[in-house]
Amino acid sequence: MPRTSPLPRHASARSAARLARRGRHRARTVAIAVLLVVAAACNNKRVSRIEPTSVTDLSGRWNDADSRLVANELIEQSLGGAWSKRYAEAHGGQAPTVIVGGFGNRTMEHIPVGTFVKDLERAFVNSGAVRVVADAGERQEVRAEREDQQANATADSRARLAREQGANYMLQGEVQAIEDAEGREKVVYYQVDAALVDLESNAKVWVGQHKIKKYIDRRRIGW
Amino acid sequence: MTRTKMVAALVGAAALAACNGPRRIHERPVLANGDRVASSDSAVASVAAETAAEREEATARRDAGLAAAAAECAPAVCAALARGELALSMTEAQVMAATRSAEAAWSVRRAGDAAVMVARHADAAPRDATGQVALVQLAGGRVSSYSYREPQGLRVVSAPADATAEGRARATSEALIREGDDLNAAGDRVRALDRYDRALALRPDDAMLNYRVATLLDLQLRPLEASIRYRRFLQELEIQKIQAVGDANAKLAEAIARAQQRIIVLERQAR
Repeated sequence: MPRTSPLPRHASARSAARLARRGRHRARTVAIAVLLVVAAACNNKRVSRIEPTSVTDLSGRWNDADSRLVANELIEQSLGGAWSKRYAEAHGGQAPTVIVGGFGNRTMEHIPVGTFVKDLERAFVNSGAVRVVADAGERQEVRAEREDQQANATADSRARLAREQGANYMLQGEVQAIEDAEGREKVVYYQVDAALVDLESNAKVWVGQHKIKKYIDRRRIGW
Repeated sequence: MTRTKMVAALVGAAALAACNGPRRIHERPVLANGDRVASSDSAVASVAAETAAEREEATARRDAGLAAAAAECAPAVCAALARGELALSMTEAQVMAATRSAEAAWSVRRAGDAAVMVARHADAAPRDATGQVALVQLAGGRVSSYSYREPQGLRVVSAPADATAEGRARATSEALIREGDDLNAAGDRVRALDRYDRALALRPDDAMLNYRVATLLDLQLRPLEASIRYRRFLQELEIQKIQAVGDANAKLAEAIARAQQRIIVLERQAR
């Protein structure tokens, strides 16, 4: 059998080794690139300050825009109502005094009612048409401080006892929700009711209300 | 191979169409992402400006009314004005000054010489230092009577004695006794006893009230308390009898002295 040249055999072995090396090198490069991409993907947090009045609906649940809408509506309704004017006419121009009572969340969702109640409180005070006194929770701290002053403050600087302003009306209210869902679609209806109740007679002198209806469509692919 | 690709493409398109199925609700959103919720600050500021102007006007009107009312008042009326209380023979302006109220808070109905002032709005009725005023009656431009809205009903003040603390206690206790009588007649002895007890706190020396309480306790099978009340009733009667005899004797002594004086005068005239 004629002997074939051994040289090409050696050459093919070398080239195969070179190819394998090149392949390993490429694989390493790809692995590094993938790692870099993964690392970049892990660090995708972006934080930016945006306008607090902007509407940003992400999940469809109760959010800051709903709170502001409710606050605006209740402020407009309460300050536009005749109840404070009537009181002022009957009391020598004095503004009625309001205390914030219970504001219940009767929904299955977590709704921080304090946000719009505080907005309403702020509007009352800033308008000058209504005086607001510290509520049951707030006044405990104030009373404790006043008590402390009786023992520790100088006579000319201590706050006197039994000088609290009594409220004429109590602000009460509640948030209720109705949900309706089918497949990927959901409708949530919120109703916020607020009322000012005369502390002597239990008569409701003002009743405010705001309704919000949301349509949530969870599309898997959308544009 | 081509057929398989085509089938896969069709399935993909169908899945996409299914994912983005037709909406069942077609309503235009009133607020979308990116919109702004207006601030209420400007509305509050405008209310604040309006309120400040109104308050300034109301204060000026009230002070002018108070000055005018105080300028021409009798001492008793002036004292009542300073205390912020209603008083008989006040004028209409003085009533408003005493209650620190504006004309808009009242509804005045006139009939000839008489007038009646009632609160225009029941939920913001004017009040003086004593309580919520329900009605003020004027005759000849002066207050002839006025009434307060109290837990037992209306309390009318038509004489100076009615306006005192004793007068108020008397009126309140009378109202409580009336209420107690009604409850007793309706068979609600527990509540009737409660009303009589409250009336007794205001009139502890009322013999008949003690008797009413004793009878009710007796009927409720509370003998110990009933016997104490019966004794108290008898004791009050004794005290009243002694007082009556004392009063009668005092009157008699006066008559005896007068008779003796007259005898002397008449005898002197006869001489």
